[in-house]
Amino acid sequence: MQVAACVKWVDLRPEVDRVHGTVRSVGGPGGAGWGISEADRAAVEVALQLGAVWSAPVAVVCAGPVGAEPVLRELLAAGVDRVVRVDTGADQPSHAAAVELAAVLSAGQLGADVVVCGDHSADRGSGTVPAFLAHHLGAAQALGLVRVEPVAGGRVRAVRRLDGGRREVLEAAVPMVLSVEGSVAELRRAPLAATLASGGREVEVRPGRPAHHVEPPRTRPWRPPPRVVPAPAGDHALDRVVQLTGALVERNPPRTVELAPAAAAREILDQLRTWGYLGADGE
Amino acid sequence: MPDVDAIVVGAGPAGAAAALELARAGRSVYLLERGPFPGSKNMYGGVVYGRILDTLVPGWWDEAPVQRWVTRRATMIMTGHQALTVDFRTESWGRPPYNGATAYRPDFDAWLAGKATDAGAVLVTSTTATGLLRDGDRVVGVRTDRPDGDLTADVVIACDGVNSFLAKEAGLYPHTDPANFTVGVKETIALPREVIDERFGVRGDHGVDYEIVGCTGDVPGGGFLYTNTDTLSVGLVLSLPALAAGGTRPEELLRRMKEHPAIAPLVEGGEVKEYSAHVIPEAGYDMMPELSCDGMLVAGDAAAMCLAAGIWLEGVNFAIGSGAAAGRAAARALQRGDTSNEGLAGYRSRLESSFVLADHRKLRDAPHLVMSDLAQRQLPGLACGVAERMFRVDNPEPKPGLRRILRQELKRNGVKVRDVVSHSLRALRTFG
Ligand SMILES: Cc1cc2nc3c(=O)[nH]c(=O)nc-3n(C[C@H](O)[C@H](O)[C@H](O)COP(=O)(O)OP(=O)(O)OC[C@H]3O[C@@H](n4cnc5c(N)ncnc54)[C@H](O)[C@@H]3O)c2cc1C
Repeated sequence: MQVAACVKWVDLRPEVDRVHGTVRSVGGPGGAGWGISEADRAAVEVALQLGAVWSAPVAVVCAGPVGAEPVLRELLAAGVDRVVRVDTGADQPSHAAAVELAAVLSAGQLGADVVVCGDHSADRGSGTVPAFLAHHLGAAQALGLVRVEPVAGGRVRAVRRLDGGRREVLEAAVPMVLSVEGSVAELRRAPLAATLASGGREVEVRPGRPAHHVEPPRTRPWRPPPRVVPAPAGDHALDRVVQLTGALVERNPPRTVELAPAAAAREILDQLRTWGYLGADGE
Repeated sequence: MPDVDAIVVGAGPAGAAAALELARAGRSVYLLERGPFPGSKNMYGGVVYGRILDTLVPGWWDEAPVQRWVTRRATMIMTGHQALTVDFRTESWGRPPYNGATAYRPDFDAWLAGKATDAGAVLVTSTTATGLLRDGDRVVGVRTDRPDGDLTADVVIACDGVNSFLAKEAGLYPHTDPANFTVGVKETIALPREVIDERFGVRGDHGVDYEIVGCTGDVPGGGFLYTNTDTLSVGLVLSLPALAAGGTRPEELLRRMKEHPAIAPLVEGGEVKEYSAHVIPEAGYDMMPELSCDGMLVAGDAAAMCLAAGIWLEGVNFAIGSGAAAGRAAARALQRGDTSNEGLAGYRSRLESSFVLADHRKLRDAPHLVMSDLAQRQLPGLACGVAERMFRVDNPEPKPGLRRILRQELKRNGVKVRDVVSHSLRALRTFG
C-alpha cells in the first residue's frame, strides 16, 4: 500500500478584484506569503494518519517551482517518507496540473493507492484537481470531506459536506482520491531534530511540462456560486413560473423615508417588528 | 558537548546581524524564528537607515529590497485645524551611499537573514523558543515549542524583540514599567505610484518621511507617514499607560489624523491593505537591562535599544548595530573558550564605543522631553499659533511684532515662560 498527498504551492494571500473576482498573486512564486494552504496541510496529516494505521509509506507530490522546496522539506521533517516536486510554474490550470500529478502518482512511478488532497487551493481554486486525478488514476473519489476515519483493509469512512448544512456519510476503498477541508486535521509539528536535519534531505524533482496555458480574460463580472433553492411545486409550467418569480404574490413596494436619525431608528425597528424579526418589546 | 556553538533567537534585524557575524567567524549557529519566514511577524513605521550596513554588507544598496530612497524629511506640528511643517529635501540622499530607505519588513528581514544563511547560519523557522535551559546559573540552551525541542549551545543571543521573555527569564530585567513602552499602530494604504509621486512631489524611486507631533489627542505620542513604491505607511506611536487609562482608542486617533486637513489630501482615495500594531521600548537607555549573563547576550529591542527620540525613530539600525556587536563578541568569547559573563564582557565595551550606546546615553532624556505635557499639549498650539499670526495680514492694523505675538500665544496656550526656558535648556543639553 502506498499513501500520497498532493499539495499546491500557492499565494496564500492573493489580491482578489472586487468587481471581476480575478485573482492576482502578489510577488513571485518564491516570495513571502507563498506556501501551502491549511487544507493541503490537513491532507498531509490525514495521509500520515492513514499511513500509520495501514503501515504504509507516505509520499507528498507538489507541482511547483524550486521556491517550494523549504516548505516541502518541513513535510519530510513532519514524517513524510518521500517528497516529489514536479518542476512546473505555479500557475498551471487544474486539468494540466492533474495530468502532471497523476503521471507521478500512477502505477508506473509512485503507485499510490490513496491520494489525499486539500479541498481547494487558497487562490480561489475550483477544487477540481482531485476529481481530475481520480479520473486519470481510475480511482474512486470522495471530495469535500469534513472527517476521515481509516477502517481496516484499505477502506475509509468519511463524512462529506453537502449543501444546506447536510452531511453524507460514505465509505470508500482503494484506489481512491480524497479531498479534505482544512479543519479535518492539524498538521503535526515536526520534532526539532528532524527539522534541523531536513535541510539536507532530498526533494525528488521530476521535470514538468512548461505551462502553455493562458487564462482567458474574463468578459463578465465574477458572480458567487448560485444558492440552491427548492424546486417550485405545481402541475403546470405557468404555476411554477409564477411561483419562481413571485409575480402574483401580494407584497409591499419599497418605501423611501427621510427622517431625523432618532425617528429613522424608530421606523426601522417598527418595520423589523412588522416583519417578525423583533418581539413587541424590541428583543 | 553542546549541539551547536551559538543559538540566536529571533530572525529580526538584530538576530540576522548576530548570526551573520557568528557564521562569518566560522561558528556553527542556529537562527531560530517563530514565524514561517523572517519578517513575517514584524512591523515598523517604515524607514531603514543604512549606514550601519556599509561594513556588514558592502554595496548593500544594490541588492537590499528597498521601496523608495528617502530624499525628503519633514516634521509637522499640528493642532486640530493647523499644521506647521519643516520640510527638508536633498538629492544627495537619492544616490549612493544614500541615507535612509523605506522597505517592507518581510522583504528586508528575509533579505538580511538570507545573508546569514549564505554565510553558513542555519535558519529554523516556525520554531518558538519557549524558555532557557540552564546549568545552575549558566544559560546552556533554549527549549523550543517543537517535540523533543531542547537545543544546547555555548552561547545564546536573545534577539527576540521588545518584551523579551528570554531576557526576563534570565533575570536581566529587574523590573518592567509599562510607562517605558509605547504602542505603534499603522495602516498600509495602497495608491498608484504616479499619485504618490504627484502628491508628495517626488520622482522615480525617491520618497518622503513625515514625523508628526500634535496628532494624538488625549494620548501622548506622535505620528508618521512614509511613502513606499505604491503604498503609504501611516501610523501613530502612543503612550501605553495613557491608552490603558482609557484614552481614545488607537484606530480612532489614526482615523482622526487621516482626516486632518493637512493629511487627508495625501491619503485620499487610498485602499487600506493592512492594519498592524506593535509595542516599542520607548524609554531607551533608562530601561535597558543587564546586557549579558553567563552564556547569554541580549541585543536589539530585546535590550531596549530602539531609539525613540522625537524626530528620530530608529530601531532597525540600532538592532543591526547591537546584533552585529553581540555576534562578534560571542565569536571572540567562543574562540577564547570563555562564554561566562566575564568572557562576554566585550559586548558591552563594543556597544559603548559605537553609536548604539553613545547615542542612547546622549539622548537619554529625549523620550521624556518628547512625551512631556509641554511638548505634547502646549507646544503644537503655541508653534502653530505664532506661525498663523506671523503669516496673517491684519491691515489696516499695523503688524504686531514677534515678541507681542509670542506673549499672547504663550498666554492663550497656558504656557509658562519658566517651563519653556527649563525645557529649552534640557533640550539643548540633550540634542545639543
Ligand atoms: C510602529 C513602529 C514604527 C517603527 N518605525 C521604525 C522606523 O521607521 N525605522 C526604524 O529603524 N525602526 C522603527 N521601529 C523600531 C524597529 O521596528 C525595531 O527597533 C526593530 O525591529 C528591532 O529589531 P529586533 O531584531 O531587535 O526585533 P524585532 O524586529 O522585533 O525581531 C524580533 C524577532 O524575533 C522573533 N521572535 C520573538 N520571540 C521569539 C521566540 N520566543 N522564538 C523565536 N523567535 C522569536 C520575532 O518573530 C521577530 O522576527 C518602529 C517600531 C514600531 C513598532
